[in-house]
Amino acid sequence: MTQDLSGGFSNLCPTRSRRVSVLIICLMLWGLPPFPAGASEYDFAIPEAEPSAWSFGGRITARYTWHRLDDQTAGYGRLYAGTDPGTNAHDGQAVAELSAAWRRSSFQARVLTRHAYTRTFEQDTWDNDIYEAYLSWSPAPNMTLDAGKKPVLWGTGYAWNPAGFLNRPKDPDDPSLNLEGRTLAGIDVIKSFTHGSLNNFGITALVLPVADDWFNTDFGQHGDVNTALKLYLLWHDTDIDFIFFNGPDHPLSLGLDFAKNLAENLAVHGELAFQKDALTPDVTSGSNFSQTTENQISGLLGLRYLNAHDTTFIAEYYHNGAGDDDSRIFLPSPDRQRNPGKDYLYAKISQKEPLEILYLTTWVSAVVNLNDHSLNLQPGLTWTPVTNLEINGRIGVPIGDAQTEFGEKPDRFRPEIWVRYYF
Amino acid sequence: MLILASPLLVSAQETLTGAQILEQVDHNLQPGNLEMYRKIINIEPDGKKKEFVLWFLKKDMDKIVTLFISPASEEGRATLRLGDNMWLYIPNVGKPIRITSMQSVVGGVFNNADIMRLDYHVEYDVADLAEDQGQHLLDLKAKTGVVAYDRLKMWVLKQELVPTRIECYAATGMLIKTLHFKEIKDIGDGVVRPAVMETDSPLYQGYKSIMVSANLKKRDLPDEVFTLNYMSRVKDLR
Repeated sequence: MTQDLSGGFSNLCPTRSRRVSVLIICLMLWGLPPFPAGASEYDFAIPEAEPSAWSFGGRITARYTWHRLDDQTAGYGRLYAGTDPGTNAHDGQAVAELSAAWRRSSFQARVLTRHAYTRTFEQDTWDNDIYEAYLSWSPAPNMTLDAGKKPVLWGTGYAWNPAGFLNRPKDPDDPSLNLEGRTLAGIDVIKSFTHGSLNNFGITALVLPVADDWFNTDFGQHGDVNTALKLYLLWHDTDIDFIFFNGPDHPLSLGLDFAKNLAENLAVHGELAFQKDALTPDVTSGSNFSQTTENQISGLLGLRYLNAHDTTFIAEYYHNGAGDDDSRIFLPSPDRQRNPGKDYLYAKISQKEPLEILYLTTWVSAVVNLNDHSLNLQPGLTWTPVTNLEINGRIGVPIGDAQTEFGEKPDRFRPEIWVRYYF
Repeated sequence: MLILASPLLVSAQETLTGAQILEQVDHNLQPGNLEMYRKIINIEPDGKKKEFVLWFLKKDMDKIVTLFISPASEEGRATLRLGDNMWLYIPNVGKPIRITSMQSVVGGVFNNADIMRLDYHVEYDVADLAEDQGQHLLDLKAKTGVVAYDRLKMWVLKQELVPTRIECYAATGMLIKTLHFKEIKDIGDGVVRPAVMETDSPLYQGYKSIMVSANLKKRDLPDEVFTLNYMSRVKDLR
């Protein structure tokens, strides 16, 4: 290509007539790069390869929910007591999440704030929260020290994490949802091995102090200092975590989780949790409850399978040691899990790019209470038609008889749409 | 014409076995421990494009980390491959989740195995060596059942020992996709190899995905970088 250009260039430069003007043209052409722009059909420039110490970003979300109500349910009576919303209620929410990070050498600082305006049938509210604000220092590649507010999510389950004692409740159908952090100080140490069946070994040790009205208030009394430890192994191609969590006013909690790929399209995972003398709701009458203490064992077993048509199947069985199988299920869950019953099945089938529509994923999920046979059926979709714009929709349809968990939900059905823009 | 920066370069005049050719192909495509940037461009039938940029780290023959740099909706997502194990880390969500090689993190024709591919000779045995259209034609068979494609047909330039085309087949014999290697050039640190990999698939009629490799640097990183606990901090190494 270069030789061809040079040859053409030479022929453009006569030696006698109009020497000056041609010389100018020659000089102009000489200044051109040897490869004219667009010579290749590919663009090899990657400006992102020059990172900067500072980074800023965020996303805004607009969410609308329509509640088609059933005024004969216990949930309706509890939620709308003393009001009269009729058969429909509408919620709207606008959320801005803003992040800033700074990195230099082995130090890093990050802040993530969340600002939400929510409009419901009852009221309008503003919430401004700091989800993350922490400092990290990595004196060596295998060691990191953290201090501040940072999210913790332990366990391998999608819908529930019985061994994730520090976790915030999550929405398995909105996996990119930001979760509020815990205030902690901690150290993370990793060691790799090149020989043998143990490939990786990691220890995460955390202390989580409690300060009234400030942080970690659900972990005990003011002045308490809780401790958490996670031992991670990659052993025989299997992820294994041993989890410990304890505090002066918090039950001793021991957990185990695992995950393993069985084939190129099949993975299995599970969790087991034990809590000594944990608070357990004790229904005494009607909608009132008190709490007793008892040892609890919870567990989860799940799998994920992908077929040749890009359909993903996720199934999980969850046994909630703090759960019950009767009347208490109408009450708000007192623990970190979303569902207060005893035994559940979560199933989700998602189809990537159906009808050859790129960046569209459709899905249907169901949470089934295995004790009262009620369920929440939820079809939905996620579509990113243009870069950084994500459109999500889902319809929650609680199904069940009277006196069942989902049969007593306030909504007959609940369509919801949320749009996110990332920047 | 083409000078490959390889100490293991074998004279094209020698008679090479299939295994030697495959090993040399691997060395020419991903020579040793390195970092590089990759741009993935998904092209729809109507010409609409979507781009992703990721940072790619490789160590030894079984350790790969990728970190998504852009667009903003994907920024901070990281994937880790250790042998046959793969994980996806989504920022703010917490613990990385296990993924399988046949899934796709970015949509389009590329799946995880294409983006986090180990050396071919680690995953495949040479079942047969032939000649076709003046090139070596390797018939490759997966060593284990956890590899994304059961068989590969790989056309390799005899002089340069880099592939020009790879057809990927499922265990049923169905053609899943075809990879086309183009634009042999120096992509950094003197490494001369195809800088572009295009792929199309009978399963995605009209769609095309392109992966451009650039800004390659030889880099040795500790083993601990290629671990689950490190995925949230990979960005600190850039």
